[in-house]
Amino acid sequence: MGAWLNESMTWGNAFVLFVWAVVFLLIVLGFVTYAIYYERKVIGWMQLRVGPNRVGPLGLLQTVADILKLLIKEDTIPRKADRLLFILAPALAFVPAFAVLAVIPYTEKLYFADLNVGLLYYVALSGITTLGMVLGGWASNNKYALLGGMRSAAQMISYEVPLVISVVGVVLLSGSLNLRTIVAAQGDWFWQWNFLPQIIGFVVFYIAAVSELNRTPFDLPEAESELVAGYHVEYSGFRFAFFMLAEYVYVYAIAALTTVLFLGGWHPPAPFLDFVPGLVWFLLKFVAVVFSFFWIRATFPRVRIDQLMGLGWKVLLPVALLNVFLTALYLELFVK
Amino acid sequence: MIRTEELLLNVGPQHPSTHGVFRIVVKLDGEVITEATPVMGYLHRGTEKLAENLNYTQIIPYTDRMDYVSAMTNNYVLVHTVEKMMGLEVPLRAEFLRLIVMELQRVASHLVWWGTYLLDIGAMSPFLYAFRDREMIINLFNELCGARLTYNYMRVGGVKWDAPPGWMDKVEAFIPYMEKKLEEYDKLVSGNEIFLARIRGVGRYDADTAISYGLSGANLRCTGVKWDLRKEEPYSLYDRFEFDVPVGASGDCYDRYRIRLEEIRQSLRILKQAVAQFPKDGETMGKVPRAIRPPAGEAYVRIESPRGEIGCHIVSKGKAEPYRLKFRRPSFVNLGILPKLLVGETMTNLITILGGIDIVVGEVDC
Amino acid sequence: MLSGMLQGLGVTLKSMTSPKVTTSYPDEPIHMPDRFRGIQHFIPELCIVCNQCARICPTDCITLTGKPNPDPEKRGKVIDTFDINFEICILCDLCTEVCPTEAIVMTNHFELATYSRDDLYKNAEWLTDNNTLVRKDNNNIGAPAKGGAK
Repeated sequence: MGAWLNESMTWGNAFVLFVWAVVFLLIVLGFVTYAIYYERKVIGWMQLRVGPNRVGPLGLLQTVADILKLLIKEDTIPRKADRLLFILAPALAFVPAFAVLAVIPYTEKLYFADLNVGLLYYVALSGITTLGMVLGGWASNNKYALLGGMRSAAQMISYEVPLVISVVGVVLLSGSLNLRTIVAAQGDWFWQWNFLPQIIGFVVFYIAAVSELNRTPFDLPEAESELVAGYHVEYSGFRFAFFMLAEYVYVYAIAALTTVLFLGGWHPPAPFLDFVPGLVWFLLKFVAVVFSFFWIRATFPRVRIDQLMGLGWKVLLPVALLNVFLTALYLELFVK
Repeated sequence: MIRTEELLLNVGPQHPSTHGVFRIVVKLDGEVITEATPVMGYLHRGTEKLAENLNYTQIIPYTDRMDYVSAMTNNYVLVHTVEKMMGLEVPLRAEFLRLIVMELQRVASHLVWWGTYLLDIGAMSPFLYAFRDREMIINLFNELCGARLTYNYMRVGGVKWDAPPGWMDKVEAFIPYMEKKLEEYDKLVSGNEIFLARIRGVGRYDADTAISYGLSGANLRCTGVKWDLRKEEPYSLYDRFEFDVPVGASGDCYDRYRIRLEEIRQSLRILKQAVAQFPKDGETMGKVPRAIRPPAGEAYVRIESPRGEIGCHIVSKGKAEPYRLKFRRPSFVNLGILPKLLVGETMTNLITILGGIDIVVGEVDC
Repeated sequence: MLSGMLQGLGVTLKSMTSPKVTTSYPDEPIHMPDRFRGIQHFIPELCIVCNQCARICPTDCITLTGKPNPDPEKRGKVIDTFDINFEICILCDLCTEVCPTEAIVMTNHFELATYSRDDLYKNAEWLTDNNTLVRKDNNNIGAPAKGGAK
């Protein structure tokens, strides 16, 4: 892949890259379909029931049926809603979700873009989704949508700060913002991967990631149904599917980012296991991270909004800053 | 100066967390509730009025449907009032069956409360665990009286069915199973820091407020008042068994939660003793006249249902139908504290508090 | 500090390997115990038109008419029409409790869903044909001949 990217841009090359991007989009959509199925099955099994098993063999076509249902629904736009913003909001929420996937490296050879500021690119683009949510809440011309949109924007903004600061420790250790370099800098044995040396950063990153994804225990925008059904209350049919799609593509992106930053990317847990291809290790770690998101969803209750803000600003942010400080101290004393 | 307005919001009548068709009109100032008015009556079915045309055996199916989560205690309060008015004696085996069934019902009702309360708070799995265990109790009742929810089991003077062969052994096997499951519930939820942060200190009131509002059940005991009608005014065979009455100290939702889980344990303790002392044989129905006509007069009898004190007041003119039948329903009375308790709380705490009071709207409206 | 949460996670993980508690209902029929109060079954030959079932029904869903016994030797009535309105029948079992001849008994069927309300008004013929899974133990303690409470 790197070879393709280094060649000069001709029409042929552009076409090939475009086809790759479409293929990748289809793979991501396939992931979303089966991540939803996987989630319903895992949560079902944890609740002593079976999960979807009627539509298609073993229920594998359940998400397809649900998406089909959403697609054939009527596309309602409230009369007093701001039409342009209403239509723009789901797209604005989804496009960054897909765009950040460009910087994730899957193996040494398989990556889409080799940006020297890959991590910064990721963090910057994921902030645009918040904009899409606020826009959706405003454009719906609905008091409750506005309140829900503001609340979820507040949640997402307050947790982006610890999210970013917690990875600064990883950047310090690896010396670069380039995701491929970060993975290469992690050693071969599993205790050398970043999650152990940077355990504080890992925990903060994980909690902030769960909150960024709007999942339980931080799913106030989606579950606070007594007051607000969230910013997507007025959206129906395909536009609503877009918001949900954006959420699951973010699950993909965050899980991939966790694997790359903290779990050693494509490295096997021990050097003698490298006969298994790196992509398989990447996928195994990725699937484990996604499973942990579902496991937490099945187990924990929701936190209250004031406790959520308190947790983000008063606990996670100081701990993340402490982590940066300790990492810098360690590098200064022991490495330099 | 910014001009702010109060927001008037309807919580319900259709709402996932109000445990039925129940509406609360709240006035919000930002996030904080300034005034809350419950509006009930969406499930009113006129049981008390209908009862004026039915004889006592016909009213029993109607009582099942009042507090549908805990139907056996409703059956009992009606038949016990009639038996007291008529001075009937219930044979020992029938009384044992009634007590066993009522305690099993208490466990089932608290399980429903636990599962739905945690669902309101956001945890989705405990609901299914609670219902798995409740399903065992419901299956026991299904084998005993033929229905899963509306039992129509007790009659004036006894019970309708005797225990089928093997039923007592199943009850006996259920008790250690449930005790083990209670430990699992504690591991899953009771230590969870998120859950504790949500519940502790929410919806606090003191003993004087509780007594002046007429609260009963766990709502009263969480403030430190040790009042349980099974101990204070023993009915049925409760004076034969040893059990404790859990009491809280601070009057908040966490105390109510702990008290109800502890009540399940105490019910299992009573069940163990009752199954051990169950008479080998006996009648299931006492000597009851052909036509049930309580003498003219009134009677009020109250018992301890899982929700609190349920009472039945019958005014009889000597006929087969009551002249006036009134139920003092615990959920109805317990709701009285809601407007006072909600002032100054946020919307999230509204759901927590409402769930903690443990209402069943079928009983609120009757 | 997080021990409560970790224990909770352990419980849910362990329950992934526990046996499932759900039944796949339409594919596998549910077997109710014998005493289950399902849809009634009517035996017209045993009915003596005493009207006890119609009188005891709390919701008045039974309507019946009798005609004089066509056989001139026998006295009494035989049943002519017997309808139960399943829109309001609550399957409370009081009608089988008071029937002195066990002409009306309950079965273990419970599936009554129909597409139209007219289909819920079942007549004697339908109730007679509903003769599978009939409950064996009827316990008609309220029947006048046996004494006991009404």
